[in-house]
Amino acid sequence: MSAIAVNALERQAVVKQEKPAGQWTLAWRRLRRHKLAMVGLFTLTIITLLSIAAPMIAPYPYEEINLYRSYATVMSPGDPGRPMHYLGTDRLGRDMFSRLLYAGRISLLVALSVTLFTVIAGAIIGAVAGSFGGWIESILMRSTDVMLTLPQLPLLLVLSSSLRQYPQLQMFLGSNFSVIIIIFVLVIFGWMGVARLVHGSVLSLRSQDFIQATRAMGASENHIIFKHLIPNSFAPIIVAATLGFGGVIIAESALSFLGFGVMPPVPTWGNMLNEARAAPLQDLFTQALFPGFFIFVTVLSINFIGDGLRDALDPRLKM
Amino acid sequence: MTNYVIRRLIQSVILLFFVSLLIYLIINLVPGGPFDLLRQSNPRITQSHIDRLNALLDLDKPILPGKYCPTIGGEQQPCRFDQGRYIRWLVKVFRGDWGTSWTVKTGMSVTELIGIRLGYTFLLMGVSLSMSLLIAIPLGIYSAVKQYSLTDYFVTTIAFFGQSMPTFWTGLMAIAIFSVALDWFPTGGVRTAGMEGDIIDVLGNIFTLGRVHPDLGGQELKLIYDGLHHVALPAMVLAFFNLAGWSRYTRSAMLEVMRQDYMRTARAKGCTNRAVIFKHGLRNTLIPLITLFGLAIPALFGGALITETIFSWPGMGRLLIDSIANVDWPIVQGILVISAGLVIFSNFLADVMYGLVDPRVQYG
Repeated sequence: MSAIAVNALERQAVVKQEKPAGQWTLAWRRLRRHKLAMVGLFTLTIITLLSIAAPMIAPYPYEEINLYRSYATVMSPGDPGRPMHYLGTDRLGRDMFSRLLYAGRISLLVALSVTLFTVIAGAIIGAVAGSFGGWIESILMRSTDVMLTLPQLPLLLVLSSSLRQYPQLQMFLGSNFSVIIIIFVLVIFGWMGVARLVHGSVLSLRSQDFIQATRAMGASENHIIFKHLIPNSFAPIIVAATLGFGGVIIAESALSFLGFGVMPPVPTWGNMLNEARAAPLQDLFTQALFPGFFIFVTVLSINFIGDGLRDALDPRLKM
Repeated sequence: MTNYVIRRLIQSVILLFFVSLLIYLIINLVPGGPFDLLRQSNPRITQSHIDRLNALLDLDKPILPGKYCPTIGGEQQPCRFDQGRYIRWLVKVFRGDWGTSWTVKTGMSVTELIGIRLGYTFLLMGVSLSMSLLIAIPLGIYSAVKQYSLTDYFVTTIAFFGQSMPTFWTGLMAIAIFSVALDWFPTGGVRTAGMEGDIIDVLGNIFTLGRVHPDLGGQELKLIYDGLHHVALPAMVLAFFNLAGWSRYTRSAMLEVMRQDYMRTARAKGCTNRAVIFKHGLRNTLIPLITLFGLAIPALFGGALITETIFSWPGMGRLLIDSIANVDWPIVQGILVISAGLVIFSNFLADVMYGLVDPRVQYG
């Protein structure tokens, strides 16, 4: 056999060998071994699917009022020829189960958009501060510190109650304006964590050899930020975003619970709990149980997933 | 050390200045004063009435220093320079004049109003904080020492659950279970109806040597019992949420300490297990917890806001929510600046304490 043929055979053998698993494949394998994270993922998927399919599953429209069946108990019959009220009804006789499904749509939508926007804003601010340095870094990171010192919950209340009084805004944004205001307000007060994280990780990456090499090869600052610095900070960002997602669900529910968030008749788990407070004391248990239970299960699943992701993506971060 | 403290103090004051500016801007940049509500309810009130009232409250002036062109009786007056509402407010705050309430308790001074409510919030926060610390720290240490034991799994799981249960849900469920179904605790408020005075009056009398509050007629013990009976449920609800985080932090801090060399050295010297854990481990575990304590104050304040609302507890949180709903900006500004100051001060205190308890920390 000639030398060339041997060479070709060797090459074939190399090609046939399994491609080494990438960083994300490895992370996924580690995540799959994390039982609680898998349980969380499963539960969250079910809640999400239920919410998306709300118009198909819900036995009643969420705003249908039936004053004759106010505060009906669990598994009580509906009007003749109508479906059962599986989880009872609220003060206005609206079907609890249907409202919970629709509420999930709003709560998850708000949490998803807020997480997305905060991660984008935080990553850009942190990366810019970390890679430009100098006075840009000082201004950005000092403002982050100031924002972190502000009393968040009270200012969220002030801002969302003030913005709601703008008639122009109401006209411009239409009937769902309280949802858009709540997203805006939560993003304004939510980006600092990610910004700090990215800033720190960019600072430690910047001194590493491969970034020096990229710069030496003549890459622009933009190229370095978006192709190298941000992708390399992905792991901690994803963990922070996941845990932040749960935080946003609680924050939105808290605002809606206090009456400064999403306004009725649009249901969210938070404003359903707010309405439960007005219930007679003997009905409080069933009225408060279900909306809160949905918040609890959703946030718990997300925390499980976040915990699993932290172990999977960066074992050093493990608490 | 002294240099560091002074530098940190100056930084804190500058930070507080910026934070107060930001708070003032956020509150005041949005249009709509207290009289917009007035106008909606009474159509006979015209714009010129509103203008006059605004001028009375200084609301026609610019927020930051700038040009001010007053109109008196519809007539344009010559423009002049105005130092702005923010500066004027800040100067007054330094003199101890925090303004008067617009709508919630019209005419009452903000400092007096907050002073009355502050005691209730501190009582709630204090009871709840001591409850959660007394349970969380031993629990966290036990679960770290017996890592991977059944108790450890139990504690970690409970912590996970607790962190996923918002206070506004646990609060409502606690009322439904412990107040309505079992009738162990009252559903809210600070005292049983018909009682003269409450626990805060008693505490006030103790700390000011009987000068502030009227004679309580020898009912002090009864009032204290009644007050504790009322504070128990809200404090437990608030504590439960913090308990979760605290026990988790204590556990991981203790695990970190147990990995250190000096722990092994102590064991090698022949210390008993007990002495190693309590003398060497515990004291070093408490150091990172000081920082967390500083960071926990704002979270505790936010939690108190919600808990007070659920349990009709007449503290600062409820006052704040009433004031926001009624556009009572002087009160809102006052409470927000106080709570921001509290946060900054507790961070400062945590940094300084860190150096006092841990000689390894070097101040640069």
